[in-house]
Amino acid sequence: MLSSQGTVPRIAVESLTGCAGELLVILENLDKLLPYVRVVSFPFAQSQNDSGAVDITFLEGSVSNPHDLEKLKRIRAKSRWLVAVGNCAVWGCVQKSACSHCKVEDMLKAVYGQDSKIEVLPSTSLDEHVKVDVKLSGCPINATQFLSVTANLLQDHLPYITHKPVCLECKLKENPCVLIEDNLPCLGPVTAAGCGALCPSVGAACYGCWGPSQDAQMDAMAVILQEKGYAIDEVLNRLQSFGAPAKLFERMKFEVKNERV
Amino acid sequence: MSESEQKVIQIPEICRVEGHAAVNIEIKDGKVSAVKLDVFEGTRFFERIVLAHKYDEVAHIGSRVCAICSAGHVLAAIFSIEKIFAFKASAIELLYRELLHLGMIIESHATHICALALPDFLKTPQLHDFAENHPNEFSIWLNLRKLGAAIQTTVGGRPFHPVNMHVGSMSRYPEHEELKTLQTEIDACRDEASTLCNLLLGLTMPLSKTAEPNYLALIPHGESYGYFGDTVRSSEGWESSVSEYKTYLSETAVPGTHAKRTVGNGKPYMVGSLARLYFFSERLGDRARSIYEESPLARGQSNTILNNLAQGIELVEAMDRSNQIINQLLKMERGKKLKAGDFVPADMSGAGVGAVECPRGTLYHYYELDSAGLVKAADMLTPSAQNTARIEQDITCVVEHGLETNSPVLNEDLETLVRAYDPCNTCATHYVSVKVLD
Repeated sequence: MLSSQGTVPRIAVESLTGCAGELLVILENLDKLLPYVRVVSFPFAQSQNDSGAVDITFLEGSVSNPHDLEKLKRIRAKSRWLVAVGNCAVWGCVQKSACSHCKVEDMLKAVYGQDSKIEVLPSTSLDEHVKVDVKLSGCPINATQFLSVTANLLQDHLPYITHKPVCLECKLKENPCVLIEDNLPCLGPVTAAGCGALCPSVGAACYGCWGPSQDAQMDAMAVILQEKGYAIDEVLNRLQSFGAPAKLFERMKFEVKNERV
Repeated sequence: MSESEQKVIQIPEICRVEGHAAVNIEIKDGKVSAVKLDVFEGTRFFERIVLAHKYDEVAHIGSRVCAICSAGHVLAAIFSIEKIFAFKASAIELLYRELLHLGMIIESHATHICALALPDFLKTPQLHDFAENHPNEFSIWLNLRKLGAAIQTTVGGRPFHPVNMHVGSMSRYPEHEELKTLQTEIDACRDEASTLCNLLLGLTMPLSKTAEPNYLALIPHGESYGYFGDTVRSSEGWESSVSEYKTYLSETAVPGTHAKRTVGNGKPYMVGSLARLYFFSERLGDRARSIYEESPLARGQSNTILNNLAQGIELVEAMDRSNQIINQLLKMERGKKLKAGDFVPADMSGAGVGAVECPRGTLYHYYELDSAGLVKAADMLTPSAQNTARIEQDITCVVEHGLETNSPVLNEDLETLVRAYDPCNTCATHYVSVKVLD
């Protein structure tokens, strides 16, 4: 890919509200990109940054306050391709799951006092506000996936990213099933692959950090976990931890108690 | 007062730190009248997020406070819950936890020293300047951070947000072959860590005077230069159990910023590498000890910017200590994975504080569980949150010294000062003291 100026592609790496995990993955793999791109903006890693147009912006974090929203719109306007990186940007991650249980205004008052002037918004993913060209989830993103997405984009090609469940990768590794054999609350059947089935490969339950897989059957997952003896409230909390959107739970027939805040 | 006597210094966004922060300084009549480190990162309310979640989810969720010190968050959460369960982890488990933690120290310190702090001294405002003009330093950073990532991946399952560490025990123990591979990788980077320290030793400090030291750090368990403990020590001479942290530390919310200010027994204090070395330099191994002895730190200097060098010394020590731990692990049988029944009491209710020394300083996690093991209340207090008040005190001291000596401080030098704390504003905004709501 050549940028509009006929020079090396210009990329930006920016963040909204998150844990800086994607920034770290990108920074740590930068030596592989530097020969092919010009990093014009990366405030986490360099002090001289240019706000001009770029070919690709990698944006991490959720929209969690008005400043984030303004920044997102500014970034969308300057970017040919906007790549949402990480669960926060793609799904909203743990901070969004809390918003499905408690009102953000109540949390603010409980934490910073009744008359706090801090501006907050319920945490949301990027695509609730602007068009997002590529969604690369992960918590943190997988470096191999990140490099292959970038290589595709540098060849003017939109990448294919699979959203099949973690179970697919887990079976290919011939791991024993921790859900069936150990009765662990493994969320692999409803979680998007990409990590290489990290948790079940070490004998632990997948806790859903990549966000939901395509056509995630949350109701069936809840039934299985209930049959294994997990209380429905606990099951729902687990399923919602990493930003799964409310619409995936519409078919559920369970009475859910709201005991937070 | 005429207008010419008032001045405002603003740094609208400090780059090369984690998260988003700005500095505002007001000067009136030749004196600093107000300093504010303004953190404008979005709030995530972690103490609320974990509510009603089961004890075994807390470490995974808490990990998301901060990627670069995620291992520390995971361990602080595990320590807190094991205290509630009155469970003592096995010796092999503690060694693996320490090894994971050292992997984080290596990766975090290498990234902060090379990628975030050094560009001020090398004058490389953009990444490609750094990579092209200083290939040696760039490659030292890559190799050291790869080593930290390799240790964390072998023990924790990935470079950060570890998946292998749980309350009770790990879910998988590395093969001895994997540990031996790590030793080879540590050996390969040995000289680079020393080279980095020599580079740091040769840097000229841009600011001659910073605030007087006031330190706080955990007293490490055992004899080595460790990062886990249950008691804090203050340079003012007091010690206290971490379970009492709410009495010796206090926080106040400051209007318009998300970072609360924390003071220890009423005074701003510093946590992190400088504080740890101040108290425990005699515990360092030979190699780190000899670098320390040559450094201005051994001569009692406390310039805040020396925190970069202090991190370098800790990096060397972390590599040597990792090697030692692996030698011990190689002599032990591989551990046994515990089932929940092995460590979970029938009634899980209770409260506990877990604390670790993260790269940037002491991190506290507090949880209160109900009888079924669901979180009823939580609190997380991060190092960067604790350093905020001290950063503001330091800026005041530096700017006033500049005014007194008629040599105004450059904004870029103030940024270097703030950066030396290695502030992590993704953290600093989410630690909050939460009143328990029934």
